[in-house]
Amino acid sequence: MSVAYRGGGTPPAPVASFWQRHREQLFPLLFVIPAIVYVGYFAFYPAVDAVVLSFQTPIQSFTLFNYEFNVNQGMYTWISNTLWVTLGALALQFGLALAIASILARQFRGRTIFATIAILPIGIATVVAGYTWSQILPGTGGGYANSVLASFGWAPVYWLNTVPGALAAVVVADSWKNTALVVIILVAGYATIPKSLYQAAAIDGAGPLRQFRYVTLPGLRSFIVIALLIRGAQEVNIFQLAYEMIGSYPQLLTVQIYELWGSGEGIYLAASAASVLLGIIAIFIVAVLALGARR
Amino acid sequence: MTPAAGAAPSGGPAAARDRPPAPVAVRRRWTGSTIGLYAAIVAISAFLLFPVYVIFLMAFLPDNDTIYSPRPPLIPPTFTLSNLTQALTSANSPFLPSMYFSLEIAFLVGAIALLIGIPTAYGLSRLAPRLAYGLTTVMFIVNMLPSITIALPISVQFIKAGLYGSAISIALAQELLALPVTVFLLVGAFHALPPDLENQARVDGASRPQAIFGNLVPLIRPAIVASFLLAWMLSWDESTFALILSNPVHSPLAVEIFYSVTSRGNAVYAVAFSFIATVPVLILVVFLQRYLKGEDLAVGVRG
Repeated sequence: MSVAYRGGGTPPAPVASFWQRHREQLFPLLFVIPAIVYVGYFAFYPAVDAVVLSFQTPIQSFTLFNYEFNVNQGMYTWISNTLWVTLGALALQFGLALAIASILARQFRGRTIFATIAILPIGIATVVAGYTWSQILPGTGGGYANSVLASFGWAPVYWLNTVPGALAAVVVADSWKNTALVVIILVAGYATIPKSLYQAAAIDGAGPLRQFRYVTLPGLRSFIVIALLIRGAQEVNIFQLAYEMIGSYPQLLTVQIYELWGSGEGIYLAASAASVLLGIIAIFIVAVLALGARR
Repeated sequence: MTPAAGAAPSGGPAAARDRPPAPVAVRRRWTGSTIGLYAAIVAISAFLLFPVYVIFLMAFLPDNDTIYSPRPPLIPPTFTLSNLTQALTSANSPFLPSMYFSLEIAFLVGAIALLIGIPTAYGLSRLAPRLAYGLTTVMFIVNMLPSITIALPISVQFIKAGLYGSAISIALAQELLALPVTVFLLVGAFHALPPDLENQARVDGASRPQAIFGNLVPLIRPAIVASFLLAWMLSWDESTFALILSNPVHSPLAVEIFYSVTSRGNAVYAVAFSFIATVPVLILVVFLQRYLKGEDLAVGVRG
């Protein structure tokens, strides 16, 4: 800047030539700046802010009080319940999504209709899904699932009576809502597997199961990993769907954050539970970065 | 119609590759495998459709036959429109204001997604692969960050700024979920364009911005429409930011449903709003199906 020109007819100063030399790279970078500023201010700054707040109280600037308080309230249980739901939901979603994607990879009468049905739950808002499932699997011994059982002459089930039962009910409802997202990713993966591999496997005498094991699964690997990371992080975040079905017991991390936030105790206790949530998500983020580094 | 840039690369070869994996194998085991296939299809379809059916039952049956029934009937004994009319016309119903509010927020999210997303996607498609990959990863991470953790400090900021509860503040937070998806989709579309297109336009005398917005952007119009609708849909569905960042007396539809179910307990509103909130999005999903097939995602995963 200070030495733009040395004299009348001399060539442009280094600043200008830097732009000239790297123009092809700098120009597209300009287009990306608004997005970087936006996510920096609205995503990363608040994330750091939440962690900072978690070590504060209205009268202290650094304290572990919030964490100690929440641990005494049973935060380890909130975490383990959340992880159980995450594991259960991932297992159910991937089992179901692999089945659906394998079916969609074939050609059969009614394929388009089935494809539409398979992604339909995407169109049901999470809060609507939560409410609807609270009417299907309530804790009262009534509800629509028991109506189905009754039509077979079976006795009603109190779905939410035990902690595992309640968490399983949440897993089923959440998987209903979100399996479609996994299906989309796996169908994309299927499209990348050359069909000649299946023909070769069939010629070698591999049946459908062996084809699935030795052609499909290896072909889908990177897609399965991506989908696991995306869905895993989202499952840890499960909130309103669970809250509508089981309320605040068994406790989940997100629900506790919400209750602490609304309890009038101020934002600090909620921030400490929210930071723990962020820490769990950070594991998934590190996995994404490690995956990227390996490329 | 311009070539459907968003779908062209995937629609062609991918569709061709969608054909049956091994027709020989399928035909050889005709009966057993076909019966098994249809049994699986029926079972999965029943599981996926049942809750949708329940939404319809709850909306169109008197509440004594649905939410207040100890054994709600599966075959409708009678129909009524009174749930819907009551929720829509009752003087103190929050329906219309919250519906408008949701629409306003969803359109803002769609608009901002394009405003930031189109330039970002163009930039990423032209940057050196390593840099582009790094920035794409950043967007991916943004998508993974827990909404409720982000929402707490943001709510404090918005209160300070006097923006708390406004449509733009909720839209700016929800954009964190919509923008990455928009960018992934549009980067795929930009990549699918012939690289020389931009150079040709510039040889013809267009400035670089002219070439981008006059020549390239119109070609990816289908992908732009799709990403606007996806962003719109994400906002319509989103309820965590909406819950934490909206004022309880004037909240979006999803939050209104959440309150009806959890705290205020007006069940008629809950069933009616659930139905009304669902219909437009179900139509959108069917309409958007070809973009939800995920081939664009395949491009993203492969880099």
